[in-house]
Amino acid sequence: MDIIVCVKQVVDPELPLRDFAIDPVTRRQVREGRPLVISTYDENALEVALQIKDRSGAKVTVLTIGPQARVGDAIRLALAMGADDAVVIDESKSPDLLGADKARILAAAVRRIGRYDLVLCGCESADWVERAVAPLLAEMLGASCVTFVSRAETAGGTLVVRRTADDGFHELDVRLPAVLSVTSDDANRPRLPKVKDIVGAKRKPVQTWARADLAVESGSHEASGVEVREVVVPQRTAKCELLPGDPAEQVAALGQRLRDLKLL
Amino acid sequence: MAVVLTNEHRMIQTVVREFAARELLPIAADLDQHSRFPGEALAKAATLGLMGLMVPEAYGGAGMDTIANVIVQEELARACAGFQTIVTVNNSLVCEPILRYGTEDQKRRYLPDLAQGRRLGCYCLTEPTSGSDAMALRTTATQRGSEWIVSGTKIFVTNGVEADLCVVYARSEDAPGARGISAFLVEKAFPGVRVGKVEKKLGIKCSSTAELVFDGCRVPGGNLLGRRGEGGKIALAALDGGRIGIAAQALGIARACLEEVTAYVQQRQQFGRPIAEFQAVRWALADMATRLEAARLLTHRAAALRAAEQPCTKEAAMAKLAASETAMWAAHKAVQLFGGYGYIQDYPVERYFRDAKITEIYEGTSEIQRLVISRHLVDHH
Repeated sequence: MDIIVCVKQVVDPELPLRDFAIDPVTRRQVREGRPLVISTYDENALEVALQIKDRSGAKVTVLTIGPQARVGDAIRLALAMGADDAVVIDESKSPDLLGADKARILAAAVRRIGRYDLVLCGCESADWVERAVAPLLAEMLGASCVTFVSRAETAGGTLVVRRTADDGFHELDVRLPAVLSVTSDDANRPRLPKVKDIVGAKRKPVQTWARADLAVESGSHEASGVEVREVVVPQRTAKCELLPGDPAEQVAALGQRLRDLKLL
Repeated sequence: MAVVLTNEHRMIQTVVREFAARELLPIAADLDQHSRFPGEALAKAATLGLMGLMVPEAYGGAGMDTIANVIVQEELARACAGFQTIVTVNNSLVCEPILRYGTEDQKRRYLPDLAQGRRLGCYCLTEPTSGSDAMALRTTATQRGSEWIVSGTKIFVTNGVEADLCVVYARSEDAPGARGISAFLVEKAFPGVRVGKVEKKLGIKCSSTAELVFDGCRVPGGNLLGRRGEGGKIALAALDGGRIGIAAQALGIARACLEEVTAYVQQRQQFGRPIAEFQAVRWALADMATRLEAARLLTHRAAALRAAEQPCTKEAAMAKLAASETAMWAAHKAVQLFGGYGYIQDYPVERYFRDAKITEIYEGTSEIQRLVISRHLVDHH
């Protein structure tokens, strides 16, 4: 089985709030000087791919779009975790691109890679949380699509996935080729790479393609149907309110206040 | 010598920090309170390659350098100093001497198991009557046919209870001091080895510290490590690496103190404001951060020299002296800044305080480090 895992580099979500800033011109998060990490759910997607590889054998290719100079660590980590090779789409403007533009580039890259049975993406990126790439990519590739997958395994030539749902989970047989968006689960906690595999990762093949070399379908922000007008950092305020009365009255008043605030 | 961390070093640091957050931080207080050996976490550390960091891949290790080792040791000690003690002894005092002085057969027999966590190692130098004056040791090794008969008592052996392989230093030659000593690879399963008194300690409680008694223990001739009479040299060379590992442990403890204190003083309110707003508190933080960084530079420099196969005895002693005294001082400050909360077990700084003290004592006391450093200043010039 050939599996492609799409990974995105984002500014480390664990950074303190004081390091979070929006560029007023590009209306994008400031990345300069901030450590970049693989977006959280993309690591879960990679783990699902590696588990399929461990259980039944597969070739796992990591695919990322980004300024080539800054994607090295993410690729290296993915290769150290166990991916076989990597493809980097060198695109200096990638942090400015939204889901539909990304999906178009990824679709072109997947077609150029050629052989694939599965494409795995995180269910959402840690910065934009659009949840758009996987469904759009499936549409563009004409592949099946299942979202919010927590587990996937091959059984007798078919792919069986577990999809997180409000009322539990759904278990689905999936026709290949397919695009899956992966959510986190106890079963797909990303593995830590061995030290020797960190060293060995530099010997694994990494191809770099310029975006211009890909047959990307035309598109613009307008065509995506999304234009970012404004990005605002919410101001957090705290206010203390003392409820009068005996405990029973206080509980009733608290319940009413929480309903008024639409928190209950 | 400038120390530049490579991408590999930084990635190893990230991975080990995550390992420590997942596997050590949640259990560190419990391990300490029950003096419980962290077997499960050690097995996971071994899977990552942390038990044989500097052992080449050909012998089953991770094939990294001394700089990677200090980075790893600092991260482990940041979470649990006792756990790190177990790991650093296996790496620096057992794997390294075998790698440097062992025969090809010894390397093949022992390194893969040690590096992959199937066996644990310990280092047997100290005796009841020889601590700082280590080369006055009295354990004997007598050749009988193709075997050696080792007899004597070793104390304060880290990993002594659980270890499978002991690097034992014994007097084999009729010569005083270092010249009469040879090193032996003694399996715990050899007849004549037993664990004696197991010590109850102030800190690093999840690692065992035990007496090992060698009572006419028969050691095959092929388990002599290095040449006859070379044991003193091997012991001291191992300590150069060992001291760098302890310096890294001290860095981890000092960093733990700084990080806990920095978080605490920003949320602890007194006199109507966070205590971080008081100048005395801020100066303490600044001093802790500065001393920590200075000690880290010394430690990384010593590690870089050792990685480059250059002499580093003085630099290792300086790193260990500076880092261990920084850890103890930082722990003292941390408990003071936490006040009453620093003295109870609800917060980790009281553990850091107890753990820090050993770094000024084992693998050469601070006084011995000063002696080593001063020899390079006076006797060599």
